[in-house]
Amino acid sequence: MPHATGEDPQLMTLLLAKHGEELARHIRRVLRDDDAAQDVLQETMLRAHRARAALGAASNQRAWLYRVATNVALNAVRSRTRERAALARHAAEQQLVVEPQADGRDDERRVDLWAEVARLPERQRLALTLRVADELDYEEIARRIGGTAAAARANVYQATKRLKVEVGDP
Amino acid sequence: MTETAVREREAVERIVLGTFGALTGRRGEPLRYAMMDDTPVGVLGLAAGEHGLRHLSFVGNEDEFIARLLAEHGDVPVLRSGTLDPVRRALDAYFTARHFDFDVAVDLSGVPAFHRRVLDETARIPAGRVATYTEIAVRAGSPRASRAAGNALHNNPVAIIVPCHRVLRTDGSLGGYGGGLHVKEWLLEHEGARPRAL
Repeated sequence: MPHATGEDPQLMTLLLAKHGEELARHIRRVLRDDDAAQDVLQETMLRAHRARAALGAASNQRAWLYRVATNVALNAVRSRTRERAALARHAAEQQLVVEPQADGRDDERRVDLWAEVARLPERQRLALTLRVADELDYEEIARRIGGTAAAARANVYQATKRLKVEVGDP
Repeated sequence: MTETAVREREAVERIVLGTFGALTGRRGEPLRYAMMDDTPVGVLGLAAGEHGLRHLSFVGNEDEFIARLLAEHGDVPVLRSGTLDPVRRALDAYFTARHFDFDVAVDLSGVPAFHRRVLDETARIPAGRVATYTEIAVRAGSPRASRAAGNALHNNPVAIIVPCHRVLRTDGSLGGYGGGLHVKEWLLEHEGARPRAL
């Protein structure tokens, strides 16, 4: 085997060839979302790449990969749950603020999440809405609004970033 | 991130994308492979695309087989897969139960036309029988191309299932075999066709 360090991705190629299919299946069972699953497989392989010196000679590569993939996938589930909960909380809180105020000075304070969403640039707004409300994957979002899945993902990311700045964290 | 780290990330990303794209059907079909580590004729590597079996090879080990597939098929992701289990069972039955007929889809689309005719004709030789390189060349439509027929058989991508081991020299000697002559001899004896000269 050529050099086991540096740019040579040969070990990664071998590991993915041998275990990629069952790892991907395993991760998709946990996440039920191809985009998220791809991110998890990616992260798993990056960790494998960082650990290649030890992993290259190990006899239990499959077990190692499974353990890491499971951890990364569960973290992804947890952060996804947190994200959705945060958005739902935002929405709920903002609904409360929308109640009309008696003193009539309420206009600026009616901060509604979906009003914030409405002010986003069009592509970000569409991408975020399709992602959060319709729960589509990025491939499907790209099909609907045009462009690539990666661009759709970037739009959602930019949108959530902007909303956090403008709406503030609960 | 350092520049090396970025390059590493990109390399891993590329591999994951290709592999995952293949798995989810977002990109082209991968080449799926399986190993058979302890057959009576040694280690076998099997690989199939969406249209059928493309490789049945005698190999040293799994890493060597993967490297060979990557070298031959370039950017196509190579993945170990359970989808080849039926082929492995058919080969098991061949080795243990002397069940010599394979009901396995074979994809020879990567093989040049004359070579494919030679392999098609070879596939018609029943177990227990043999033919000569010249006979196969005649059946493939080129009586004087016995040497080319030999080449085609030498490059048979799907050993055993396309039974190139059943083709001998006109004098009855074994000729050549990719898996080694002892394997050719073993297969012929296993099928009940003892070569006249060893």
